[in-house]
Amino acid sequence: MTRPGHPVIFASTLAVLMSLALGVQLTRDRLYAQMLTENRLMYVTSPKAMEKVALSYDSILADVYWVRALQHFGGERLKEGNGQYDLLFPMLDLTTSLDPRFVVAYRFGAIFLAEAQPGGAGRPDLAIALLKKGVAANPEKWDYYHDIGFVYYWNLHDYKQAAEWFGRGGDLPGAPWWLKTYAGVMLARGGDRQASRQMWFQLGQTANSDWLKQTAQLRLMQLAALDTIDALKRVRDTYANRSGKLPESWDQLIAARLLRGVPVDPAGTPYTLNFATGEINVSGYSKLYPLPTEPAAAPELAATAPK
Amino acid sequence: MRVVAVIAINVFRESVRDKVLYNLVLFAVLLMGVSYLLGQLTAGNEIKIIKDLGLAAMSLFGLFIAVFIGIGLVSKEVDRRSIYALLAKPISRQQFITGKYTGLVLTLLVNVTVMTLAFYAVLGAMAWKEGAWFQPHWETPALDPALLKAIAMIFLQLMIVTAVALLFSTFSSPMLAAALTVGLYVVGHFNADLKHFENVVDSKPAVYLARALYYVLPNMAPFDIKAQVVHGAAVPNGVLMLNTAYAALYILALVSAATFIFIRRDFK
Amino acid sequence: MYAIRTENLTKDFSIGFWRPRPYRALSDVTLTVEQGETFGFLGPNGAGKTTTLKLLMQLIYPTSGYAEILGRPVGDIEVKRRIGYLPESPYFYDYLTAEELLTYFASLHGYNRAEQRRRVSTLLDEVGIAAERRLQLRKFSKGMLQRVGIAQALLNDPEVVFLDEPMSGLDPLGRREVRNLILKLRDRGCTVFFSSHVLADAEALCSRVGILAGGRLVASGRVADLQAFQVRGWELVVGSLSTDTLAQHRHRIQRATTIARDQYALELQLSPDPIALLRDLVAGGAQVISLNPMRETLEDYFVRQVATHPATSRMDEPAKEAS
Repeated sequence: MTRPGHPVIFASTLAVLMSLALGVQLTRDRLYAQMLTENRLMYVTSPKAMEKVALSYDSILADVYWVRALQHFGGERLKEGNGQYDLLFPMLDLTTSLDPRFVVAYRFGAIFLAEAQPGGAGRPDLAIALLKKGVAANPEKWDYYHDIGFVYYWNLHDYKQAAEWFGRGGDLPGAPWWLKTYAGVMLARGGDRQASRQMWFQLGQTANSDWLKQTAQLRLMQLAALDTIDALKRVRDTYANRSGKLPESWDQLIAARLLRGVPVDPAGTPYTLNFATGEINVSGYSKLYPLPTEPAAAPELAATAPK
Repeated sequence: MRVVAVIAINVFRESVRDKVLYNLVLFAVLLMGVSYLLGQLTAGNEIKIIKDLGLAAMSLFGLFIAVFIGIGLVSKEVDRRSIYALLAKPISRQQFITGKYTGLVLTLLVNVTVMTLAFYAVLGAMAWKEGAWFQPHWETPALDPALLKAIAMIFLQLMIVTAVALLFSTFSSPMLAAALTVGLYVVGHFNADLKHFENVVDSKPAVYLARALYYVLPNMAPFDIKAQVVHGAAVPNGVLMLNTAYAALYILALVSAATFIFIRRDFK
Repeated sequence: MYAIRTENLTKDFSIGFWRPRPYRALSDVTLTVEQGETFGFLGPNGAGKTTTLKLLMQLIYPTSGYAEILGRPVGDIEVKRRIGYLPESPYFYDYLTAEELLTYFASLHGYNRAEQRRRVSTLLDEVGIAAERRLQLRKFSKGMLQRVGIAQALLNDPEVVFLDEPMSGLDPLGRREVRNLILKLRDRGCTVFFSSHVLADAEALCSRVGILAGGRLVASGRVADLQAFQVRGWELVVGSLSTDTLAQHRHRIQRATTIARDQYALELQLSPDPIALLRDLVAGGAQVISLNPMRETLEDYFVRQVATHPATSRMDEPAKEAS
């Protein structure tokens, strides 16, 4: 007369039921993923309300929203150019409201809210709004000033503003020496590839998250590609002057001893030469495509720059 | 299954005599009071607010009932020893557990049904005051039948929570059972985030643990379609059916576990 | 087929949370109860009587051993249709009335509405709480609850009835009623198995008893057999006994208790034969009222058995064989 119930039968029944339940879950998640991510935000959009709801669990909720922001971003990225990123700002806003010292969230917003479509939301204004929140919450951190200046420079091409923010950041105790240099460069020359390269290099150095490092590396490669394209343009022009027409392929340039081999971009893909227009660019298949719109030089600034 | 029905009806009778159904009065008063206040304050959007409030209140009140009666379903009978005389009758312990679960679900069903009627009544009254059942600036009609979808999902959630409470009631004290049940409910809402835990924490073991927990713990968030329904977003029937299937399987697992624990117990 | 049969029934509990130790509540209990018998299950507190009853009701499971009721293993649902059980200090559902409770239990037995009503009414009358049928159980006194408990145990006209301390909480009137009830059940041919402290009742009601002490069945058998050779003396009740005559024969009397003026109850030793003393007292002017052998009471026998198996020390010791 032992106890009733066979543990083995029970355990197997339980395992079967749970696996079936799991299967249903996975099926539902796969078929209706869109719906599920949306609903989680709609209820509490206001950071103020969220702060009240969160009680004393702000930090963990900030983490939750951070994770969701990343998921949302990743999901939109996969949409191959149709991403809306419309929930990115609200989620980052919520994250930083719940935890005003969530540095990486501000930085993420700075880079990807400002970045043009399809890589980002294309809303530098939102990026700056987010960063200004960061400045207000952490006025002694030079990072946010730098990031604001960076958005003005890289995305908005507003060199005066960029210079101002770089300058203010550079004034803070503990700020790195090159911030003030940026300010000077902005005011003197406006857009400058070397300055850009420097900024991205610094961003990559101080990055403590993978996505930032990778983005910085990508940008540096793109800038290097731009340098190479400038050089290739000079080669093309030399050929055009000599032969009176534009080269039709790299082979012609190689044959003319102007190039040693087919030029390849830092990502390993050959550059393209459009034989009709003579335009040189990275290939559409390259990782570096599309190349960013660089901040252009603005010589008129030089007139107003302090000496 | 006649025995199960008899026990279930007794559970229902106990809930009624414990004055649980008075929560319905509170619900009705709340809805009516707020709808009246809103009428005095803002213009437009009251219907949406009442819908939000009604669904949220249904969920919350139902949750209270599911937890506070659920945790005592078994433990109360065992502690007070009323179970001694009961199990000497020609019933099996399985029938007892099933009967108790069914009884609480029945109580919840009655509760939710009455709330739904009150809810639609208040919405109807508000719409009637506005002069039309559907105004152009509303996202959905006042007496939107899609609300029933949200209510059905809420009810499924409550059934799961009841099963969880029942399971804990078979072996732990009411206090502990309440804490664990509410805890599981809260975790269940954030369950999906466990899947992507690697974005928050670096240690690999924690990530694997989180992922395992994601698969095992009840995933409550997908049952929450209140926002969609209120905003008029379409909810595919496929989701509803899959949710129902998931709930059924999970509840079956929980009740089996409760039964297994219960039939092997000594009643000291 | 026996009504009840156990075979080496043993139950261990674990005591303690951090380092659980086994505690042997029942040890190798083997007993049988014939159909139609009234069996008294006696023992001091903590002996394991309630544990045995719970094992028979399958509220707990044995560590080893076997038990059956009416030829089927305990817990068999069909057998439960033919038995009734009154737990110790019963608690039922506060919020139900007596009538509702009995109706609830009756419906679990499977009777239709009419049959439920009939049985409930009959039993409410039989246990004497018909007047309180509509009263909620939370308002019932202990004695009344005990009656409800008996009523619910008899709903299905059981063949075997298990009563755990049926007299507890009852005033003498209530005890008398329960006693009569048990006699009625006996007359109906019902097997009654009840545990009790009240030995006098067991003596009066039971055909057989079992004595449990320290988790072991230390004695079982017919009441008469247990006491058959235990005559320990004589009791002579005399009247009109003058003080002189008493003093004269005092040395032959073990104890003299005054009942009334000149009336005494004299305890005499087993031998010599009391007839001689009786004649002498009568010669001295006394009147013989009664002469009876003094048997050991069940209580004496009980105390003697239990003394060899003390219960209290077990709590501190691991399970071990008693001497």
